[in-house]
Amino acid sequence: MIVLDPAHGGVDSGSQISDTTVEKNVTLALAFRLRSLLTARGFSVVMTRDADAPAVPNAAGAAMTLDDRAGIANHAHAAACLVLHATPGGTGVHLYRSELEASEGQPFVVPWLTAQAAWIPQSRLLEKQMTAAFSRSGLALVASNASVRPIDSLTCPALVVELAPSGDDADSINDTDYQQRVAQTIAGALLFWQNEVQPPTRLSAPASATVRPATTSDTAGAQP
Amino acid sequence: MIQRHQRIVFWCLVVCIIGMGVLLAVGRQRGRQRIAALADDETTPLDAPTAMAETVTLDLANDADGSIAPASRQIALPQDPNARARALIDHLIAEYALPGSAHALPPGSAVAEVFLLPLPLVGYTTDSTSSATKDGGFRPTVPVAQDDPDPVQPKQLGGELAVIDLHSTFVNQHPSGVEVESLTLRSILGTLHANLPQIEQVRFLVDGQARETLAGHADLLRTYPAADTTSSAGTANERQSN
Repeated sequence: MIVLDPAHGGVDSGSQISDTTVEKNVTLALAFRLRSLLTARGFSVVMTRDADAPAVPNAAGAAMTLDDRAGIANHAHAAACLVLHATPGGTGVHLYRSELEASEGQPFVVPWLTAQAAWIPQSRLLEKQMTAAFSRSGLALVASNASVRPIDSLTCPALVVELAPSGDDADSINDTDYQQRVAQTIAGALLFWQNEVQPPTRLSAPASATVRPATTSDTAGAQP
Repeated sequence: MIQRHQRIVFWCLVVCIIGMGVLLAVGRQRGRQRIAALADDETTPLDAPTAMAETVTLDLANDADGSIAPASRQIALPQDPNARARALIDHLIAEYALPGSAHALPPGSAVAEVFLLPLPLVGYTTDSTSSATKDGGFRPTVPVAQDDPDPVQPKQLGGELAVIDLHSTFVNQHPSGVEVESLTLRSILGTLHANLPQIEQVRFLVDGQARETLAGHADLLRTYPAADTTSSAGTANERQSN
């Protein structure tokens, strides 16, 4: 199972790539390409949105929040979660892993805003796999760390894939051959990755565990 | 021959003129005293830097390669740590607003206020119960255990949390994108760490309110560790983790 999260959508257009292109359309187009390639390779694919405006499941008309997207991804128990973005800045592909420090294992009560901490070692391995694949394909790649919501709340090996133009022209980001090359590289890397993924160790509950109510602004909130 | 009613009007006008003159003099004196009191007040938002220019390190971002590199500048800074942190960030953003900047940001003031709070961050409430009165009537609302893994614990004695309240005008005009937004935050974190080492953690607000992202990408809800964010430090950390 692979989760694809084409970022933005609906009234949230994301960044303005060029006069005629906005980020939400590029991320969705890349997600469709990836879904086709991954399905052809035997993966099940879950997309957090497959239309312009994302909607919350079982709540027709309600706008989807970043936490809703994380909820969809976490319920899928995926081998990899890819948050797709696009930018007019730079060239090639930018790959980001969460900036959280790795924890020793998954705690009994998973903190919502730092749930990814237990999965950092796996995300790091996935990043290595992707970096090697992009190196082989000859596509420009910048790998770094960043805190991009909702990646810190994901309980799966997770990366942010930010697609930049292939050259100086910002509209080259829409080039179908370029997008296909990027999608094929990612799909190829995930094919290798599916045999390596390991869930983190689950830590047992402390004897005197006390849980305090969580809020979205609370860094110690519990996973819903 | 001047008539009686004209004499009365004349002397009334003379009295009014003298009275207005006295009122003007008194009002002017009060205004001077008020300004003098404000100048002496320690709660003035941002002191004019009266000290000599000193060498500070600004961690400057570069959009072309996604790097952050330290640069030295001679800047006069106020002595108050809160005002100092605010002035540092304002100077940093002013650098990015210069023509030809490698990380172009809109000009204008970015920071409304910076608050430095001592760690561990514990809320206190007044309590008149017998157990609380021995601590002066104050009781922590969030108990802090020695082995508490909560990130609000300081790493060193005297560690502080910096709460940076950004102007919405700056945030709304900030370029959108994972890289450009992350570089702005890392640049601020690195600059604070280099010049105010007592700052261990940083949180961001926008117009006094929590906000999900800077411009649609970088997370503003989490607490960031203030650390060396230069590219050389990042490479060293990667080597260590591998």
